[in-house]
Amino acid sequence: MYVIIVGCGRVGSELAQLLSQEGHNVVVIDKNQHSFDRLGGAFNGLTLLGNGFDLALLQQAGADKADAFCAVTNGDNTNLISAQAAKKIFKIPKVFARVYDPQRAHIYSALGLDIISGTMLFASMFRDKIIESRFSSYLIETKDLGVLEIEVKDNLVGKLVQEINIPQELIVVAIRRLDGVIIPDPQTILRDKDILMAAVKVISLEKIKARFGL
Amino acid sequence: MFLIIVGAGKVGYFLAKRLSRDKHTISVVERDKSICEAIAKELEILVIHGDGCEPRTLEEAGIKRADVVAAVTGEDEDNLIICQLAKEKFNVRRTVGRVNNPDNERIFSELGADIPVDATKIIAKIIEEEVSFSDFVNLMSFKRGKLAIVRVDLPDSSPIIEKQVQDIQLPPDSVLVSIVRGEEVIVPKGNTILKAGDDIIALTLIGNETPLLNLLVGNL
Repeated sequence: MYVIIVGCGRVGSELAQLLSQEGHNVVVIDKNQHSFDRLGGAFNGLTLLGNGFDLALLQQAGADKADAFCAVTNGDNTNLISAQAAKKIFKIPKVFARVYDPQRAHIYSALGLDIISGTMLFASMFRDKIIESRFSSYLIETKDLGVLEIEVKDNLVGKLVQEINIPQELIVVAIRRLDGVIIPDPQTILRDKDILMAAVKVISLEKIKARFGL
Repeated sequence: MFLIIVGAGKVGYFLAKRLSRDKHTISVVERDKSICEAIAKELEILVIHGDGCEPRTLEEAGIKRADVVAAVTGEDEDNLIICQLAKEKFNVRRTVGRVNNPDNERIFSELGADIPVDATKIIAKIIEEEVSFSDFVNLMSFKRGKLAIVRVDLPDSSPIIEKQVQDIQLPPDSVLVSIVRGEEVIVPKGNTILKAGDDIIALTLIGNETPLLNLLVGNL
């Protein structure tokens, strides 16, 4: 694959090296020459100095024949504009942008861009690790869907998975046990110390906490 | 009208000052706190201290009822994102984006600022005209500088002197608007004959300025 990466920070340089080691053609763009030092000696792709939404530079980077494009600078706006140029002007098939601001991430996903944003995910993970004793949630950036981890003890031991599932709101998708991971069916019985992984609607979180006494 | 101006550098500040004098309702969004305080002291407008690229800051500035949003910060990517947010998220009817680097003008028009204003290019163009030819004066530009009214003094050497207007092959998208001859203003018709010393007022696309000039004055 021919991949263009804008931003040679920690994520960009790591990604560039991964792809380059697998034999893909990689072009990395960054505004700062020193950023390319992060690529190390083994990197055999191209580096271009400049702005990630400079159309002439993107042309030079081979944007009209690229298969994929990632914008991972530390500037949300630069990433959003670069990604739109890649998608709308150069028609690159796979385009991704990293966005820190959850609001902008949400708006631009709704507008059809493929946004990767860790802010909400990390914040909610930290919060749950601090506050919650028996579950943690991984909120997906759309704010609709989350993944829950629930620790089974006392009140949940011996219940069937179908007693835990709530139609339209929560479904248990996997159980982590001491002896491995299982994908449960409705009749699976919960054991002490199981960790349930469940897909959940974010608006139902409070109701679920109340229902299971978490 | 209710306008939001994002960025209160020189451009944003003078824009706010002028528009507030015209009785428009203005709110200004600026990242620098000391600039915010200075403007709030001087002008009677709403000043919001914050990052105009963040939707919640724009909401604070009242974007839901704004008629126009002008993004005039010094960063092109910020201006473009502000215009897009205004349009796509808040349905603002008209967005004006300042283009700092002329290389970015195309991306502005492709990615959705209604009216990109390329100050650098406009100033460069004015200076270029001032230094290049004296008998060709750009009176006014419209449509983001794409269309212009120009004035040309016909020199004795002009190839169209003593010709009828209908025999002149004007470049595409150019029209003769009027001819000033001494005290007289003539609206050109097909049979009007052009004389040396006539002042020609013409409307033209900027791209056709040079062929128009070559036609009226002869090759420079």
